[in-house]
Amino acid sequence: MQPHQGQDRRQLPKPKRSDMKITHFAAIALVAGIVTGCGVTSRVEPYKQGSAVIQQGEHVVVLARKQHANHEAEADFVQCISTALSKGDKPIEVHASKEFEDKMYPWFEPSTAPLTTDDLSHLFERPGVLDQVRGTGVRYVVWLDGSTDRVASGGGISCAAGIGGAGCMGLAWWEDDSRYDATVWDIRELQSEGTIHADVKGRSVMPAIIIPLPFISHPQAHACRDLTKQLKQFLTTPEGYGGRPVDAG
Amino acid sequence: MPLLFRDCFAKRWLALATAALLGGCSTQVIVEAKFPTPLVEPLPVSVGILIPEELYNYIYTEDVPEQSLWTIALGDANVSMLQPLFKRMFRDTRSVDALPAAGATTGIDGVLKPTISKFEFDVPVGQRDKFVEVWIQYQLSLYDADGRSVIDWAVSGYGKSELMRNRQDAVQKAAIVAMREAGATISTKFADQPQVKSWLGEKGHAATPGAGPQAAAKTEAQ
Repeated sequence: MQPHQGQDRRQLPKPKRSDMKITHFAAIALVAGIVTGCGVTSRVEPYKQGSAVIQQGEHVVVLARKQHANHEAEADFVQCISTALSKGDKPIEVHASKEFEDKMYPWFEPSTAPLTTDDLSHLFERPGVLDQVRGTGVRYVVWLDGSTDRVASGGGISCAAGIGGAGCMGLAWWEDDSRYDATVWDIRELQSEGTIHADVKGRSVMPAIIIPLPFISHPQAHACRDLTKQLKQFLTTPEGYGGRPVDAG
Repeated sequence: MPLLFRDCFAKRWLALATAALLGGCSTQVIVEAKFPTPLVEPLPVSVGILIPEELYNYIYTEDVPEQSLWTIALGDANVSMLQPLFKRMFRDTRSVDALPAAGATTGIDGVLKPTISKFEFDVPVGQRDKFVEVWIQYQLSLYDADGRSVIDWAVSGYGKSELMRNRQDAVQKAAIVAMREAGATISTKFADQPQVKSWLGEKGHAATPGAGPQAAAKTEAQ
């Protein structure tokens, strides 16, 4: 039996060096395609018109703009910004959003929340409102406006199962866009200090060769990180900030 | 197996199967929340609060096509929203069981009776919609000290909540937002209603423009 097996082996054609190169090239191209297909592009545009800097003992509150019917900054996103501001490098004292809305009820509900700093100054003329705000220790309100939406998707994966086993084949992809504006109000000076705009696009791909392999991007998490970083700079840098947009691949 | 025993066995299984089927097709939500006391100036009147039984025990049911039979209980939430609201809105409040009769001496300036006139909700079926929405409409009926109607005021509240894995939680959150919204409108706009303004005038409070949240702000600004 051994000589026959040896003969069989000898009869198999040896792979040519050029064929191996093509196979390697195809594998590299596939991996590169997946890696480049799944990615995040980020653009952050800060604009600071004042020179406010947060002082010791002053708090920030992060609130979602809720006036829009079709979009609203997600509760998770508001929480992400609040938590990230209060942690890490240069932590800022952050007042809990829900607690602030409860203390100021009914003046920060969707139908009553001030839309401009003029509305805010009218609100503070009401009896007890200014005292209540002072009691919270909040100096800056960060209004978050925007949302994360699926802007495109395509491809498809087919799965089948039989007696011999099961498997999937295909390629699916989708693109999410996280667009947020963070507007900072100084409620002591009753003025808007500026706005930071973040636009983060994330493309996810899921190739399936027997098993689906998800390569998922998280643009919302990126937007949270980018906005927090900019907000910290915004609130701690007095001047010369917000000159040009920041791009990240 | 004796026939009687077999009958009982079959009936029990039928009852269990029916319960399982009904249970599998129904979704129940009990809305419970703590509502904050509004930051408004009290109106200088004494008001009786008449909360009808149907508001205490309000249950909304709707058979939603392609979903299930939804049962949403709002009774407890109504009480915890309206009680602190009215207590803060007026100088003095007390619970009453009925409308005052003409000529009766009650020591109150009027009676306020809240009811729910409409409730609607929408839970998305498709993947592109990501919000559960709730609309609620309260009817606030104000009567003067003689039991005459002063105003029937419809107050609406709208709330939405992101649809997460648990649909019941999303409906509960949206309902709470809608109720807070209605409470905000009641506490900030009640004194602006023309009939309420003239009722306050009849009660001798016409010369007190500082009554109510809106007017109070104007007084301070002057």
